[in-house]
Order: sequence, then structure tokens, then C-alpha cells
Amino acid sequence: NLFSDNRHWGLRRVVLLMGKSGSGKTSMRSIIFANYIARDTRRLGATIDVEHSHVRFLGNLVLNLWDCGGQDTFMENYFTSQRDNIFRNVEVLIYVFDVESRELEKDMHYYQSCLEAILQNSPDAKVFCLVHKMDLVQEDQRDLIFKEREEDLRRLSRPLACTCFRTSIWDETLYKAWSSIVYQLIPNVQQLETNLRNFAQIIEADEVLLFERATFLVISHYQCKEQRDAHRFEKISNIIKQFKLSCSKLAASFQSMEVRNSNFAAFIDVFTSNTYVMVIMSDPSIPSAATLINIRNARKHFEKLERLDGPKHSLTMRMR
Amino acid sequence: MVSLPCFHQYSHVRSVGFSKKIQHLKKFSNWIHVTKEGGSFYSELFKSFSLICLCVVFRPFHVEHRNIVENEPSERVSAEASVLSSRVHYYSRLTASSDRLLSPPDHVIPCQEELYVYSPLGMAFKVTGGDGGAKNPSIITIFAIWNTMMGTSILSIPWGIKQAGFTLGIVLLISMGLLTLYCCLRVLKSPKSIRKTISTYIDTSDWEFPDVCKYYFGKFGQWSSLVFSMVSLIGAMVVYWVLMSNFLFNTGKFIYMICPFPNTHLPPPVICPFPDTGDHKGNSGISGLYLNTNNYGNDTSDTAVFDRWWSKTNTIPFYLIILLLPLLNFRSASFFARFTFLGTISVVYLIILVTLKAIRLGFHLEFHWLESTQFYVPEFRLLFPQLTGVLTLAFFIHNCIITLMKSNKHQENNVRDLSVAYLLVGLTYLYVGVLIFSAFPSPPLSKDCIEPNFLDNFPSSDVLVFVARTCLLFQMTTVYPLLGYLVRVQMMSQVFGKHYPSFFHVFTLNIFIVGTGVCMAKYYPNIGSIIRYSGATCGLALVFVFPSLVHMISQKRRGELSWPSAIFHSLLIVLGVANVAGQFFM
Repeated sequence: NLFSDNRHWGLRRVVLLMGKSGSGKTSMRSIIFANYIARDTRRLGATIDVEHSHVRFLGNLVLNLWDCGGQDTFMENYFTSQRDNIFRNVEVLIYVFDVESRELEKDMHYYQSCLEAILQNSPDAKVFCLVHKMDLVQEDQRDLIFKEREEDLRRLSRPLACTCFRTSIWDETLYKAWSSIVYQLIPNVQQLETNLRNFAQIIEADEVLLFERATFLVISHYQCKEQRDAHRFEKISNIIKQFKLSCSKLAASFQSMEVRNSNFAAFIDVFTSNTYVMVIMSDPSIPSAATLINIRNARKHFEKLERLDGPKHSLTMRMR
Repeated sequence: MVSLPCFHQYSHVRSVGFSKKIQHLKKFSNWIHVTKEGGSFYSELFKSFSLICLCVVFRPFHVEHRNIVENEPSERVSAEASVLSSRVHYYSRLTASSDRLLSPPDHVIPCQEELYVYSPLGMAFKVTGGDGGAKNPSIITIFAIWNTMMGTSILSIPWGIKQAGFTLGIVLLISMGLLTLYCCLRVLKSPKSIRKTISTYIDTSDWEFPDVCKYYFGKFGQWSSLVFSMVSLIGAMVVYWVLMSNFLFNTGKFIYMICPFPNTHLPPPVICPFPDTGDHKGNSGISGLYLNTNNYGNDTSDTAVFDRWWSKTNTIPFYLIILLLPLLNFRSASFFARFTFLGTISVVYLIILVTLKAIRLGFHLEFHWLESTQFYVPEFRLLFPQLTGVLTLAFFIHNCIITLMKSNKHQENNVRDLSVAYLLVGLTYLYVGVLIFSAFPSPPLSKDCIEPNFLDNFPSSDVLVFVARTCLLFQMTTVYPLLGYLVRVQMMSQVFGKHYPSFFHVFTLNIFIVGTGVCMAKYYPNIGSIIRYSGATCGLALVFVFPSLVHMISQKRRGELSWPSAIFHSLLIVLGVANVAGQFFM
């Protein structure tokens, strides 16, 4: 029984990624978390993916994928019988809707039953709805269709408040949506941003980025001057994730990186237990050691910040 | 050792610059091997990443004007293009290279004109050429359609006209041509109407009609269109076997019996091969003009031995197995596709032959409207469903018209080109049918004698017809493996998922097909019946029912279904069913 290991199950908080079979959840998870998709996963139909993905997300969160509705009766029965276990300890529910689905009524029905289960078992979970595969809709109709769906979903989700995003893996919307989700999950994010700005100004950096550790989604950033490339965060995320994929082939794990040339120096390093930091210095005369010391000192400060907030984080610290 | 990919931020120019196949990109990315020692690690890292960070942090990559092969103003990578390239490269790491789950769909990749392939050495080449499909002018498309449609059913048209009556036959030929043309237009337009129905993109560019059926009717549509397609193909293969046995027999007989004795045989110009069968009434008195093609034991022992070992129904179908069964087992049929010109030559020769015979025999037409006489048939007969069955197969191209029309250069002329092709096909059939029927010498012989294969009405010793038979025999020998290949590919991919699962599977299928052909050739070599049954059956699904249903459903989804249209298309479906029913009752 997958749920028998209660000791670990009880301490972990779950991010549920749910949606109809074929709505794009596995691709989404693979892209965001840099997991390799084995070829056969697609042919199985229903994602029988109830095991914990071994990705720790924001420290103590674990991502679980569930196909909700539309698959064979075996999965339906399993789902119904294990409902309470599935929806316990849920921190976040991310529900994926396929924009080209023909059975809107059915989709909404399944969504509502998930919400009911959430209300019963984890009433203070945050709910996010992703209207996915928007690239299949013609460009001039996208806003209209999304607004319609958003209104319906907001209405149906009461009393819970849901945040809606429109996404597609072929443009920047997926990355931005997940970045927003992660941003809302960080408990004291405004304070983090203020401190980040101070830090950047003190060390005279051009830009400082704070990434979530597992997914390299940008949590917050500071820049002292206007940058031309609006998509630089996603690109960096893709580059680092590819690098991590290569490293994992050698059973090595990525920790830090420094890149430098005559115009700039960039440092990517572990920051807190949940984050990575990237510091860009445009003054190459400052020696690397200085910046690295600064980062190390800042690390202690930021860890203290994290520790101050929320019992769940202190639980994590004690576990380590 | 750590290997790092050298990222190709400089892989495109202007708005995009990458080709659809990621393999092209991978060709241009270099793998740099670095070691973990401090100094060299950082310097290598610096080399490979500095450019990236440069463009990421500071400014997009700029291509020197002189490095671009095409003469365009200064190129600059746009932000969207470079991030899309980054995404494509990243996603390609997440799946196996053959898996298309995360490969960019067509609507995400910009159009052909904006694609460049950029080499890291600094040159940018505009991507030329289409997606592989050669574009043909209209005349070639029309000819290709005419060539594909002209099958062996041309041999049965005179018999069909005879079965329906002369006037009714002509009327039916024209109306069936128009009906099947309309249904063919519906088939041709069905993938486009899918794109218009919903506001989302579905890539229907390489769909054939069975894919359209699968879209509308699910698994049922896919399987039923496959089954009916198989009916037409296997029906055609059985007809081919019967005809090949026939032609081989006659050729052998010509060579054996007539060549050594060119002057002693003076047969009548036209014969009635089966005078005593039930169909042909009132001919038994004129026995002197008949040539019995199957003599058993009445002649000298030479011919008796020859007739025993060279018999149209008893032995030749089996001799053909030795020739054709190995050809069916070839893995690829591209060798046989080279011989399609033989079909054209055969049809042209048949037309010339028919003209010559008509000139020689003259016209023999009398119009008796409803009653049959000793030599003539009425103008309107109740056996007309037999003609409609034959015509359904004669005008059948619905399972491959989409593919054939795809290579038409001016797609907007598709309707016109298809109509012209149907007109030409109809004219050819009409010409052959009317001429043979009119020229059939009716005072000595009855029109009822016209055989389902009109070449049977000419004796084995006729030289012109001998040439025709040899041509057709050779042509059919090259088309038969092609048909077998089509059957194999469609059936195997549907049932087993791949074209050639194993020699054993393919061999079993071939044995089955060949066995059917042999049995038919031995016990029921009436190609008229085989053609009309298989034609009406496969026409039911692929000509009448599915195109009409698909059209009505797509109109309904768009909210455009009007009463006249619904009634008309339902009528077409009823006609299709009546066509099949008529084959069994008449």
C-alpha cells in the first residue's frame, strides 16, 4: 500500500498536480522539474504515478500527480477509495484544464469534487487553476477564452479562492505561472525581497536573482538597471536544468558555478535550504573571493530569516 | 570528466532560425570535454558560457551583415526566437529523440520564409525547399488521377451497359459519374472542414480519409473504413487473378495452337464463348459460329493433353501462384511502382483496339424499349443495379484522392481538376462501352453474349487482341504486388502496429489473398459479379455513407446544416444502401 508509510507521509506536505488524463501534467512536471520522461509513460493512458517524485520542492513539499476523471473504472475506484489519503496534508492544489477539451461539464464536475475533498481534508490549501495548451487556440481568441474560463472557475470554486493562469509549454506563460505559484508559497517573500535588494546594493551587483532550488523558478530578483531580454530567467533556468540533467548522468549534483570574462562575472551558488542565488557583477575588477564571502555571509542572514517563519520550516531544520 | 553542451544561442537570425528537426540543431552543437582541475575548468567554462551570459545578461546576439548568405538587412535575434530555441533545446533533453511528445508543433514554428539555419562558423542560410512534396501542374494531377482510376473495370463496362440496357446504361454511367464526383469532392474537402470547425489547431496536413473517419467516429470509423478499403483492394486482387489466368490461358493457347498453323484457323471475328448457359437464350441453333474454348477429349490426343494441362480454370490459376506469390513477399513495392506507365499504354491500346474493331464490325443498334428480342436487349432492364455496382468500383478513388491532390501546385483549382479528371474517365468508359456494345455483331449473335470481360468475345487467335491480352497480363503482374503491398501495409499497421511484423505474418496474409484468388478463378471466374459485389460494398462505406455523414456532422457542428442539405445527403446514403441491396436481389 503506497500510503502505509505513515511516518514519512505525515511530515511531508503535498503539492497535488491534478487534471484529466492527457491534459499535459506529465509534460509539465517533466519540464518544470527536469525529469526525464520515459517513452512508455505516454502510452499508459492514465498516469499511474502515485509515488512521491523524489523531488523536494521548497524544502519539504512533495509533488504528487493524479489523473482525475476520464480514465478507466479501476483508477476511478482506487481514487475514490483512497480519497482521504490523497487529499490529506495538501499544501497546494494545482488543477490543470485542457483548453481544447470538449467535455467542459465533466471537467468542472471533477474539479468540484476535488475541491470538496480539499475542503474536507486540507481546508487551508491554496488552489491554482491552469488553463493549459493555450498555444492551440488562435491568438486573437486567447484572452477571451481565458477570461471566460477564469470567471467560471472563480464562481465554481467558492468558498475557496482560486488563482487562474493560462499556460502553454511553448511560450513563457508556463514558467511565469509556476513562478507566481512558487512566489505565493514562500511565506515571507516580501521581506525576502527587501533583504535581497539591500544585499544587492551593498555588494554593488548589477542583478541578483533568487531561484527555487529544485526547479530554478525565479522567486524574486533585483536589478539596478533596465535589462533588454525579458526572457532571461527562463533561459537561465533551462540552461541550469540541462546542466543538472548532464550531471545526474554521472551521479554528480550541481552545487555552484562561476562564469567570468572581461565584461562581467556571474556567480550561481546555493543560498538557503530552498533557494539558489545568482549574482551578476559588471565590475570584473572585484575579485571573486570578495563576492563569495559576501554571499556566504548573506546566506547566514537569510537562513535566519527563513527560520523565523513558520513551524513547518523549523520542522525541516530539526529534521536535518 | 564533465561534458558540457555548447549552447547555440547563436543558432538563429532574425525572428527564428532553427529547423524543425532537432537533429539539425544537434549537428551544430559541440560537446566540450573539461576536466575538474581548477584552472582549466574555469577557463573552459568561461569559453563556453561567456557568450551565453553575454547575450543573456547584456544584449542579444548580433550577426555580422557580411556573414549572412542571403541579402537581408542587419539581422538580430529577437527575444522570442532565442527563448523558443532555448526551450526546444531543453525539451529535447527530456525525452528520447524519437519521442514526439515534446517536439514543437507546426503552429509554434514560424513559416518557411522565416527559417534560417545558422552555422557556428558565422554563415546563415535560408531554409529552402518545401516539406518534400513536389508540386505538379494541373495537367499532371489530372493525368495521375485518370491513370489511377482506370482499372480493369473498363473491361466490364460493355457487359454492364448490356445488363442495364443501352439507353439506361448511358444515363446511369453519366449519373454515377456525377454522384461519385460529388462524393469525392466531399472526401477531398473533409480535412479542411475539420480545421474550420473548432478554434484550435489540429494538424490535418497528412491525413487521409480513414483518419478523418477516425476523428469523427472514433475507433469504429477507423476500423470500418479499413475493412471496406480492404474489401475493395482484395476484390481487385481477386479480379486480377481471374483476369491473369484468363489472359495467360489465351496467350498460351495462341502461341501453342495458332502460331504453328497460321492459315488453317479462320475463326469468326467475334464469338459467343458460352452459348448454352442460361443467360443466352435462343442462340443454340447457330452452333456453327461458336468456338468451344474448353474442349475435353474430343480432339486429337495432342490438343487433349494440352487442354488438360493448360486449362483456364483448372491449372493456370495454380501456375500463377509460382510466379506471383514470391513477388508478394517483397518487403518494399517501390520496384513495381516504376511500371505504372504500362497501365497507361494498355488503356490507350485498348481504346485503339476498340476503335479498330468498331470500324471493322460496323454498327449494329436497334432500339427496343422494354421487350427483349432474339438478338437485342431492351433499352431499360431491371438488371441495372449490376451496372451501378460495376460503376461504383470504376469511379472509385476515394481512399487516396487526398494524397493524390496534395501535390497539386495550385490547390485552389482542386475542384476543377478533379471534375476534369472524372470527365475524362467517364468519357473513356463511355467510349469503350458504347463502341463495343454498338459494334457487337447482333444479327448472328445476341447482344446478351457480351461477356463481363469483353476481350473474351474475341477468339484466342485474334492477333490484335492477343497483343492486348499480353500487355494487360504484363501490366497486371506489376500491379498485383503493389496492391498486395497496400493490403499488407494497411492491415499490418492496424493490427500489429508495424508494416512488416515478421515473414510468417506476411506470408500467411499472402497465402490467404492468393488462396481467395485461386478459388475464385477456379469456381466462379465471373469478374462482372466480383466487381459489382466488391464495388457496391466498399462504395457503400467510402463513397456514399461516410462522406455524407462526415459532411453533415461538420455542417451541424458549425451550425450550418440546412434541411435541403440534410435531405440530399441522407438520400445519398439511402442510394448507397440500395446499391448494395440491388446487387443481391437482381
